[in-house]
Amino acid sequence: MLLSGDEWAIVGLSLQVSLVAIIGVLPAAFALAYLLARGRFPGKVVVDALVHLPLVLPPVVIGWMLLIAFAPHGVIGAPLARWLGITLMFRWTGAALAAGIMAMPLMVRSIRLSLEAIDPRLEAAARTLGAGRLDSFVTITLPLARPGVLAALVLGFARSLGEFGATITFVSNVPGETATLPLAIYAALQVPGQEMAVWRLALVSVLLSLCALIASEMLLRRGRGRDRETTGPSPHVL
Amino acid sequence: MGRYFLLLRRVSGVLALLLALGACIPPVFAAPKAPLVLAAASLQESMTAAAEAWRRHGHPRPVLSFAASSALARQISGGGQADLFVSADEDWMDALAKAGLIVPETRKSFLVGALVIVAPADSRLRLRPAPGFALLRALGGGKLAMADPDSVPAGRYGREALQHFGVWDQVSGQVVRAENVRAALGLVAHGAAPLGIVYATDALAEPHVRMVGVFPPGSHAPITYPLARLRTSTNPEGEAFRRFLLSGEGKAIFRRYGFVAP
Repeated sequence: MLLSGDEWAIVGLSLQVSLVAIIGVLPAAFALAYLLARGRFPGKVVVDALVHLPLVLPPVVIGWMLLIAFAPHGVIGAPLARWLGITLMFRWTGAALAAGIMAMPLMVRSIRLSLEAIDPRLEAAARTLGAGRLDSFVTITLPLARPGVLAALVLGFARSLGEFGATITFVSNVPGETATLPLAIYAALQVPGQEMAVWRLALVSVLLSLCALIASEMLLRRGRGRDRETTGPSPHVL
Repeated sequence: MGRYFLLLRRVSGVLALLLALGACIPPVFAAPKAPLVLAAASLQESMTAAAEAWRRHGHPRPVLSFAASSALARQISGGGQADLFVSADEDWMDALAKAGLIVPETRKSFLVGALVIVAPADSRLRLRPAPGFALLRALGGGKLAMADPDSVPAGRYGREALQHFGVWDQVSGQVVRAENVRAALGLVAHGAAPLGIVYATDALAEPHVRMVGVFPPGSHAPITYPLARLRTSTNPEGEAFRRFLLSGEGKAIFRRYGFVAP
């Protein structure tokens, strides 16, 4: 593939932003998925709806909300900057936050379905055999949820790679910091005669997304095979 | 306990893999010494050329972020730290000035744009915008591509000019509203519309279109691009680049791309 140095940098930045986004969001996504799969509490429907909001809201709305919250004058951004010296504005970390928020619903969904497919009696059995809560969680729940977690990471990664609206609204289009593949493609589309650059970057996008989708499908199949041996019903993600 | 170790080993394997993946990506988070310039999307080619020229003078190449003036202004209002802002209209600069976010004495309306009518490159048409000019006949039932007159400055100027000459009501039913001026340009370049209203700079950038008419300056509000240094700018390179943009050499670059630089 004949990409220019700048174009490789764009691909590298996109991978970096997406990887950090999904790793950063994973603990929160797992906690929410666990809450939604196992928890019984008033207002669960509302939490469920809130978690899914980024999936259906226009990304530009999420970007605007992130701007209000995390800009250096924002409700969260101001204390972050004052106490911790962290600014997300115009930084790749801000792009990762936007991508992570947008990927969160898909990740929660995927993990939740694999948690729900775990037979609670397995955990109960472990408890009766003397395992503590944490012990049964770590030795039974986590390993059985692993296919869902891996699928969540891959799906979230693919979603993050495509994030555009929230990113450009929140952290602008700064080359080397926030100008990921979709933003670079959009910028190139604004310039007549840049069709070849658009083609190259679009092709990279297609390849990366295809790899991620195929990987998630393979992970799911492996997960299903394992389920048939152990717990029975297979989790259907999406 | 052994099971914990097994799990830890597995988890750490995955983590190590992810970290390794992260590590082979070139680090891009080293704080740049170069100034950050937020510029209206329509300045993409000209401002990039100016930044390149500045680099050839031995300065760090300014980092340029191109987006809609509105989005950039909101990012600045939110406290975003940058050095220079070049807006495609005065309104957004006014808003920032009112909020005390720019240094007032550094504000200059340094570029003036012209509004033109374009047609596909093989067109032999010539139009002279004047009261009641034959735009409707020139369209021949086709569409008139322009940026959305309700939300995009280029579209607003276009509607104003057509209203000035009293032809807006005849053609408004045939207007296709594009999301930005470059999208309108694309519609003409790809043959989806026989005519479009764009800036002269856009017409010069696209070899597949031809300028077939120019709106006289009095027919619409002046199209000016204000430039200012931001209050939060601490990088002396920002001010230096601002002075370069306003210099004879800087203005000459923008003239090449179809701007009028007074």
